[in-house]
Amino acid sequence: MNNQQDSILKVTGLNVQYGSFTAVKDVSFDVRKGEIFGLLGPNGAGKTSTLSSIEGLVKFNAGSVVVDGFDAREKPLYARAAMGVQLQSTSFQPELKVSEILQLYAGIYGVPLTKDKLEEILKEIKLEDAASKKFGELSGGQQQRVSLVISTIHNPRLVLLDEPTTGLDPQSRRQLWERIEAIRERGHAVLLTTHSMEEAESVCDRIGIIDHGKVIIIDTPQALIEKYKNDPEVIAVSRRGKVTLEDVFIALTGRAVRA
Amino acid sequence: METIIPKTSTVFSALLRADLTTQWRNRRGAILSLMVPVIILISWKGYIAKIGGPATLANSLCYGLISLGLMGYSNSIARDRDKGIFQRLRVAPLPSWAIMMSRLAVQLIMILIITTAIFIVGFNVDKITLSPAGYLVTYFTAAVGGAVYLALGQAIVGLTKNAETVNSASRLVFLAFILIGTFGGLGALGPQIQEITHWTPYGTVETIMAAGMAPAKWDMDATNALLVTLGYIIVFATVGIKQFKWESK
Ligand SMILES: Nc1ncnc2c1ncn2[C@@H]1O[C@H](COP(=O)(O)OP(=O)(O)O)[C@@H](O)[C@H]1O
Ligand SMILES: [Mg+2]
Repeated sequence: MNNQQDSILKVTGLNVQYGSFTAVKDVSFDVRKGEIFGLLGPNGAGKTSTLSSIEGLVKFNAGSVVVDGFDAREKPLYARAAMGVQLQSTSFQPELKVSEILQLYAGIYGVPLTKDKLEEILKEIKLEDAASKKFGELSGGQQQRVSLVISTIHNPRLVLLDEPTTGLDPQSRRQLWERIEAIRERGHAVLLTTHSMEEAESVCDRIGIIDHGKVIIIDTPQALIEKYKNDPEVIAVSRRGKVTLEDVFIALTGRAVRA
Repeated sequence: METIIPKTSTVFSALLRADLTTQWRNRRGAILSLMVPVIILISWKGYIAKIGGPATLANSLCYGLISLGLMGYSNSIARDRDKGIFQRLRVAPLPSWAIMMSRLAVQLIMILIITTAIFIVGFNVDKITLSPAGYLVTYFTAAVGGAVYLALGQAIVGLTKNAETVNSASRLVFLAFILIGTFGGLGALGPQIQEITHWTPYGTVETIMAAGMAPAKWDMDATNALLVTLGYIIVFATVGIKQFKWESK
């Protein structure tokens, strides 16, 4: 908390409004070097809106976003150059081949891409045999891997992943967690969103629980469980006598199902 | 890990390369824009004696450009917007206009290809020849005319939400143009309608292209048509750019 210079992303007092609806209310948090920070919240909590503000896709009404020392509003190109992004939905031209997409994004990020480097990347994501396959012909897991590797193609300080594992089978999910941890090991700061407690508990160093556009609490998963394990509301929702992060989450965000 | 902003030229060539590849892979759609004018040119053979070679060429070229802007361009933009392809590009360190400029550069190339095809078919099938200046000026007027329909396509995408609506709206407008052109333009509905047609986005483009094919005979009417054409471009492009949203939510 005291090592402020190590924060790669600093979000302060963020407010996002769509018309008269406020989707993000006074959200503040920071993501530090070498950590995986999880923004955990139910559907519609404001996770994507928060990420979109950082990425420059959504204009925020108040607050500030600083990426690697660059104010996202004043120096948007620098802020964006310092971050790698995986959006919630896969989003590449389906008729382009994997190698062509890698070339496109290498060009856009100003990264020289030699033939060797290209092969190395393809090997890393186990798509060396699929280089000439079109993106639209890949499986969901393969598309996800392409998208993830592109988010780090320019070696950014900050990597933003919006629900990276939603829709993946357990094997692919585990594999992706390892890839995300590998990104952290290389010294990047990772901000991911998820509505999976299991994911938050397994891969995130710190999590922020967000609901109705507000960050309710920020801490390490262990500390959160520790803090709330004797809370009567948490105990009331816990099952089989063991308090999990999910119980804390449900107690904090309520039982109502979100659309 | 230093922060580098890539050079605009690097970014643009990467975009253009990808967009050209995409256009090539989707060439079936582009072939339609090529076949429409060619078929019209061949089937209108009888009109050559009546309205002249340049007017016949200009007419068929006009339909090719309309089909390109309304069917090809608008639908591809709408699809990429629906799929979130633009959003992914926009989170990269590049100015948003570069994304659209690259798309438009591909369309300009398409205009040049269609125009060349019309010249070739016109010569081979109908023995229509133009002066060297006529060919040259026509590339220019075709680019200007093409810009009207690209801007109109952009306006349709700007005013509609998803790719399906864009698809049906652009078909409808395309059909309207065909009707205006064949019935209004040729005078089947009387001289008054013909005069109105003359000043529609169909008529002015047809006029400047026909005039450009015989530049020696470029007259006041052609100059006025050019001015009105530029006006259409400005109006449609303003709507298309101002109303445009990068995502379809
Ligand atoms: N472009 C938009 N226009 C209007 N409302 C939106 C828009 N995007 C999101 N919302 C609303 O804002 C709230 C937060 O959405 P979002 O940030 O996508 O949540 P999450 O990613 O946590 O599921 C939701 O109620 C959603 O309906
Ligand atoms: Mg979301």
